Amino acid sequence: MKMRKEFIILLIISFFLGIAPIFFHGNLYIMNILTICMIWAVVAASWDLIMGFAGIFSFGQVAFFVSGAYGSVILALNFGLSPWFGILAGGAIASVIGILVCIPCLRLKGAYIALATFAIHMVLEPLIKSKLGIALGTGGALGLLGIPSLKIGGYVFSNMEPVPSFYAAMGIFLVSLLIIYKIIFSGWGLAFIALRDSEVFAKSLGVNDYKYKLLVFGVSAFLTGSVGAFYAHYVQVLSSRMLSFDLFLTLMVMLVLGGIGRFPGAVIGALIATFFIEILRPLETYRGLVFGGTVVLLVIFMPQGIMGILFQDRGLGLVKRIGRFARQKINWASSILLIFLRG
Amino acid sequence: MLRDLIEVLISGITNGSVYAIMAAGMTLVYGVTRVFNFAYGSFFTLGGYFAWLFFGLKFNYLLVFVSIIPIMFLVGLSAETFIIRPLRARKDWEILSVMVTLGLALFLDNLYLVIFGPFVKSIPSLFEGYVKIQGFVISIHDIAIVTIAISIMVILMLFLSRSRQGLAMRAVAQDMTGAEIVGIPKDRVFAYTFALSAILVGAGSMLLAPKYFVSPAGGFDILVKSWVITVFGGVGSIRGSLFAAFILGIVEAIVGFTFGLTWTLIAWFVVLLFTLIVRPQGLFGTEA
Repeated sequence: MKMRKEFIILLIISFFLGIAPIFFHGNLYIMNILTICMIWAVVAASWDLIMGFAGIFSFGQVAFFVSGAYGSVILALNFGLSPWFGILAGGAIASVIGILVCIPCLRLKGAYIALATFAIHMVLEPLIKSKLGIALGTGGALGLLGIPSLKIGGYVFSNMEPVPSFYAAMGIFLVSLLIIYKIIFSGWGLAFIALRDSEVFAKSLGVNDYKYKLLVFGVSAFLTGSVGAFYAHYVQVLSSRMLSFDLFLTLMVMLVLGGIGRFPGAVIGALIATFFIEILRPLETYRGLVFGGTVVLLVIFMPQGIMGILFQDRGLGLVKRIGRFARQKINWASSILLIFLRG
Repeated sequence: MLRDLIEVLISGITNGSVYAIMAAGMTLVYGVTRVFNFAYGSFFTLGGYFAWLFFGLKFNYLLVFVSIIPIMFLVGLSAETFIIRPLRARKDWEILSVMVTLGLALFLDNLYLVIFGPFVKSIPSLFEGYVKIQGFVISIHDIAIVTIAISIMVILMLFLSRSRQGLAMRAVAQDMTGAEIVGIPKDRVFAYTFALSAILVGAGSMLLAPKYFVSPAGGFDILVKSWVITVFGGVGSIRGSLFAAFILGIVEAIVGFTFGLTWTLIAWFVVLLFTLIVRPQGLFGTEA
């Protein structure tokens, strides 16, 4: 079986992530960042599924994340649901919301979809803080504290237990990315790309656009919602602050940095961007300035992202160029070696 | 009751007239250049801060208004030339232009925070004082806002239907390839459209700032509002955004009066979603 380059990159990333705790297991700060990295990687990758592969301008990803988190936490606090089921429930809630959002979007295009999906994001915050939200158990403007963490046997997966929670996050990371990988390289993924590149032509060939749009929203929202639920149980506090513009933009940076519509790109982008933001933290007020400026420069000078630089569609990407260079050098070295051996 | 209703209507019409200018600027940019400008709200704040600076220099109102126009013109022009134009050659430029304007918005909003600090700045009203008509108290500032806003709209429509530049903009909006074939310089039209929209939002900022103050993050609200109005009226249609602005301005005033201000945006989105279900292209839009 020939492995795709996307799969190999995923394997390499997971390998390095997997051995990271050997070096950093004592450092709570770095372990925490690594765990958060993987959470954002899943969110960014599932956003990329909608935006990059299906080509739909959906701005509702953060809303899916937050609704999954709140859904699971409310079920855990008020009904004593185990957080493990909460992760699935959070995903289910988010995917119901995703499909509901998608229904009015089926007939819309471009900026209209962006607004309709962003509406959910904008409405969520006042709703969480309103009397209705408090009645549902969102804790209003104060947010929620003392959220139960995931437990299995003697292990607790909270932010005070870095190593087990790192591997729990990694499990979710791997499962979600495998699902996304499978979707992209299946008939579904082909249909998404066909609809993205030429909707009319794809429809004329019998691709059911309503079905695939609903599917992509459902799957993407499910993955995002369940990761959101995991995040809430991991961090153990939850407030509507996550709906601020910062997170939204950070996720967008991850997409641009890695390359939109180039599958493991979003993952690479998430890993780099999260660390970049941590490095910028001491700048305080200037952080947003540097961050915004970086986005502008990135888009102008590196529009195809890291994946685009590594593997270009046309011409040679960096990987192939290095490969060719190495082969030349090896040929050259071996011919010299042969001369020596014969001589 | 009736008295309250009329007062609410007046405030709705006042805000609606300013929203109309700003939504017109946004819809113009989208209609002509197909770029969704997320930095629009930041341009709004920029206009407000420049107005505040000029008032600090003891300029009078007219002088401020006149000096804001070339500044906003340059801002819009350079945003298009240096940020959007390099992307246009790429196949996926639509999504990239969204990202780049979002980044620009973040950059500018934080720049204001660094330069001007987190506190709100206030701008003096155009006119002090009130008039009484049939027992209703209306501030002269509000009347001035509506008058100025409507005259700006009239000038804009005349510009688009009579002047050479305006006709070129409409031609590009209708058919980009066709406009290029007949020799309309597409890039220049794009740049001027951006500049025009920046002027419009700057003017809107001058009118609204005395009522709502200027703050670093205040542009976001304006961005979302112009966006909703634009989509509700039909993207690319100036007439649509005019009607949509007044309808939504009145909706805002009524909902704000009866349920509280936090619910206004939710009410807007509800109105919008139901409209889009029935008419996916908005009130006056031609394409969905």
